[in-house]
Amino acid sequence: MRALGPGSVSSFLKVILDVFRWVLLIAAGAVFMAMIVVLLLSFKPELLGGAVDFNGMHIKGAWLGPIAAATLLAGDLYLLGALIIVGRLRRIFQTLVMGDPFHPDNVRRLHTIGIALAALELGRYAFTIVERMFAHGLHLTRIPPGGAINLTTWFAVLVIVVLAEVFREGARLRGEAELTI
Amino acid sequence: MPIRIRLDRLLLDRRMSLTELADRVGVTIANLSILKTGKARAIRFSTLASLCRELQCQPGDLVVFEPGPPGEPEEDGLEE
Repeated sequence: MRALGPGSVSSFLKVILDVFRWVLLIAAGAVFMAMIVVLLLSFKPELLGGAVDFNGMHIKGAWLGPIAAATLLAGDLYLLGALIIVGRLRRIFQTLVMGDPFHPDNVRRLHTIGIALAALELGRYAFTIVERMFAHGLHLTRIPPGGAINLTTWFAVLVIVVLAEVFREGARLRGEAELTI
Repeated sequence: MPIRIRLDRLLLDRRMSLTELADRVGVTIANLSILKTGKARAIRFSTLASLCRELQCQPGDLVVFEPGPPGEPEEDGLEE
């Protein structure tokens, strides 16, 4: 089974990424619409059901609308981050399908993926901290050691940064080969 | 880069066109153009041998070293 070119594993993975991208787009749109609806209904909290239980928090009253909207906004930003990653991955796989893995643009795409992954992880920490601030009456509680930090994600970020440099070297060698007569 | 390819002068001396040389050597005109305009980063020994054979010259007639003014950094052709 071939790894590069049309009809290869890369081609199959690109189709999966295409489908996943559309799912993310639809989900991001739906969450955005939900956020708008919640914001509009926040003027009448009773229309939102009066109270909601979220992650062990019982939210009610005037805070219900803004907190629900902020949570949806955070979710939407997370989905947008995932969309950026999937979009760049899709483009990289497009070059693999064309049989040109060391396309110079792939370096920038890998860097973007690494930055987006790191930003998503940092955003998750920020969301957790804000969530706990609300949960404990604005008194920040200590994050359990090892619990919140996802080492796999940071490892993936480092691997992507190294891979980007490998691709940079590949692109440079490709340029050399193109200008060798 | 201080390496110069004197293909245009050799072609003029031999009264040969770039197209004719490309046909004889088996290199595309685009690649010979890259070589002629000094944009090439490297030349294969096989290409150099074919060019010398068709132009009836020595490699030194085709490739010359022309150092720039002192203090000017020499490009190694490996920049991005």
